[in-house]
Amino acid sequence: MRSKITGLFLFQVFLCLVTITLVLIPLFWTDIPWPTIARDHMENFGMAASGARNMVSAIYLGYRVFDTLGETIVLLVAVSGTIGIIAHGGDVLAKGFGDPSRNESLYQEKTTLVKKQRTALLEVVTGKLGPVVLVFGFYVMLFGHLSPGGGFQGGVVVASGIVFLALGGRADGSTRLTEAGVLAKLESISFLLLILASLSGVVFGGGFFANTLAQAGMPEVGFIVLLNAIIGLKVGAGIGFMCIAMLGRAE
Amino acid sequence: MLPEDTVFALVVLPLLGAAIALSSKAFFTGKRKRNLEYLGAFVGLVLPWVVMIQLLPLVLTGQAIEGIIGGWHESVGISFRFDGLAWLVNLLGFTIAGAAWLYSLGPGPHGPHFTAVFLIQTSALAATAMTADLFNLFVCLEVMGIASYILIASSEKQGAFLASFSYLMVSATAMVFFLLGIYGIYRTTGALTYTGIINGLSGLPDHGGVVTYISLSLIVGAVAIRVAVMPLYGWLPDSHALAPHAVSSVLSGVLIKTPLFALSRVLLLVPAGMYAGQLMGYAGAITALVAVIIALSQSDAKRLLAYHTVSQIGYVVAAWGAALYVGTHTLQGSILMAGAFLHALYHAMFKGLLFLSIGTTTDCASQRNVYQLRGAARLLKQAGERIPITTITFVVGALAISAIPPFNGFASKTTLSYGLKDSWQYSMLYAAGIGTMASFIKLSRIYWSKPEQQNRFPVPVPNANKIAQTFLAILCLGTGIFAGPMYRFVVTLFAFGAPNGPAPVLYSTQTLMNTLILITGGTAVFLLASTRIGHNILKIIRERPRDFQGLFVAFSLGVTGLSGWLLFWG
Repeated sequence: MRSKITGLFLFQVFLCLVTITLVLIPLFWTDIPWPTIARDHMENFGMAASGARNMVSAIYLGYRVFDTLGETIVLLVAVSGTIGIIAHGGDVLAKGFGDPSRNESLYQEKTTLVKKQRTALLEVVTGKLGPVVLVFGFYVMLFGHLSPGGGFQGGVVVASGIVFLALGGRADGSTRLTEAGVLAKLESISFLLLILASLSGVVFGGGFFANTLAQAGMPEVGFIVLLNAIIGLKVGAGIGFMCIAMLGRAE
Repeated sequence: MLPEDTVFALVVLPLLGAAIALSSKAFFTGKRKRNLEYLGAFVGLVLPWVVMIQLLPLVLTGQAIEGIIGGWHESVGISFRFDGLAWLVNLLGFTIAGAAWLYSLGPGPHGPHFTAVFLIQTSALAATAMTADLFNLFVCLEVMGIASYILIASSEKQGAFLASFSYLMVSATAMVFFLLGIYGIYRTTGALTYTGIINGLSGLPDHGGVVTYISLSLIVGAVAIRVAVMPLYGWLPDSHALAPHAVSSVLSGVLIKTPLFALSRVLLLVPAGMYAGQLMGYAGAITALVAVIIALSQSDAKRLLAYHTVSQIGYVVAAWGAALYVGTHTLQGSILMAGAFLHALYHAMFKGLLFLSIGTTTDCASQRNVYQLRGAARLLKQAGERIPITTITFVVGALAISAIPPFNGFASKTTLSYGLKDSWQYSMLYAAGIGTMASFIKLSRIYWSKPEQQNRFPVPVPNANKIAQTFLAILCLGTGIFAGPMYRFVVTLFAFGAPNGPAPVLYSTQTLMNTLILITGGTAVFLLASTRIGHNILKIIRERPRDFQGLFVAFSLGVTGLSGWLLFWG
């Protein structure tokens, strides 16, 4: 199903690029002064209202936390879709792209190749580094309100720690963190926790996504740390699960 | 609990349901897993109705619940506005989603993952309906989009992944330009909330001029992709035809309309919005006619329905755009907008019903080709359907879409036509009506006459299918019979402040004459299409070249055209 690059195709690409460029140039070439409303508000009240020194975390877990809930869901659905595709072993995909069926011998060959590529060096290095990476991930996650980082970034680091453990661990590994079932449980529970955290304000009369912890007398920043931790767990478990599935270990 | 929190229940309950469904898979197996999954669906699809009923008295008086999520200052927080429009869009969403989920219990796809993604999609619909913040609208559209890519792919039919992939690609590209549009608006006004944007624009010379026009056309263009107006419809037929039946009905019924009504919030406020609406309305009228011609040529039953979706959304957009152009504060504008919503709602019911009925039929007969499948009514009977529910529900849907009284399609199309009277769009829609009639005569042939192959074993029809279909069929008939009260209900909820005028007359000599012309014309077109020449012409239309990159060319030309239009008029 290889299609040739024809003159028509090149013309189409050319047309797209030219028209879009024409449209976009005036958008960036303007002398209207930059807006300052939100900047001034954050400069004057941001630190006091959110308690976060890292203003980015105040924005995405404070002012615009509802958007973040949406983005978390996008990630959740994307991971779930990816796992769906992986779980079919590519045979549905192959059908969709015009191949009659999955090439069984090729699949076998690939699995043995993966086994051959595992060396002692790889296993030792990843196995020893795994816990360190995990700790670093939790650091990035929990210190997001002070320094660059936060739940999403920390979660991805945690996920790479999980991948390291999975690569380094032997069949009788000492950790259960690399088991697909455990990760799925972690992910679904942290998603539930995120929803409950958003609802906590409703129960205590502060409103949807209100800072419940601040109302209870704790520092304002507590809610950001809590949300960072929940999102970090969810992202870590989700991406980790996806990688484990890609390694072919999710049954 | 604050009154503002009640409206968020419509967003959070489906999410909570999704979380429960996901946990059910992670923690339990067997019967417990299934019970917990059903509990999630109950929380996500049934409990919101309690909230809807509770909110009804408030929106009926024309009030709206407004606020900022988390109680932040308006320059940094996310605003929301729950009014009659949001209530109506939620009505549309939860009705069809409930019926479709019930249907999916029969032929599938099953499982907690499907339920979770389905509920997330429903939640995104509710959030889109009430957002009053441009960036939040972006996020809502993204969540809605990603859920639908996954749901389309979940049918595992041949080509479904590819259809989902091209939808993903074109819509993700469009969303990048949506984001650039947000940048343009934020750059000029410093605000993301709708009220902030209006305040910002009014303080600028010429309301921001070129930058505003371009930002607006980028935003409208990206939404138009989701709405599938010509020329941006290319992704729709494949994905709607190849998705699981239940998902097809939600995609066609709800998903393509929600962005349109969410967009009207923006366009009603921005000064240049009326011109954007005007061009969209023109595109809609052309869409209605062109898509129905392509639909008539299709051989795959579900693809035929998918092209009809494009055509019917053309009706909605034509009225919607005209309403924005004349302004919803005028009598004509309020009739047009009410007509647009009514047609969106009724289309959701009858197209949802048609997708489900045709889905049941083609599954039962294991044949989707309109030219080859015959005698489906008999096959369904052999499959154990003693009362021919599926055949009846198909007929109800077909009569409704062809605008035959007393079904609901007649009511909404008459209202639309009344608002568009004496314009060229009216004649386009009239011609499209004749095409619709012809193509449903063609589709209905699969039920009559004898099955060609006697040795086929029909697949039994699950009960869930019958219940969901019957529910939607009753809605189609009920809203048709009570069309007058429905019209007044919608006009009250929209609360535009338009002068009170007489409601469009549904049953007059003229409308009934029109129906008669429609039936005669439709039969004539069908007979013409059945001749050898007609057959060949349809074959040429069916096999016209379509390519992936064409989707992007259409988008860039569409956006450029819209910017040019706004610059010219504005």
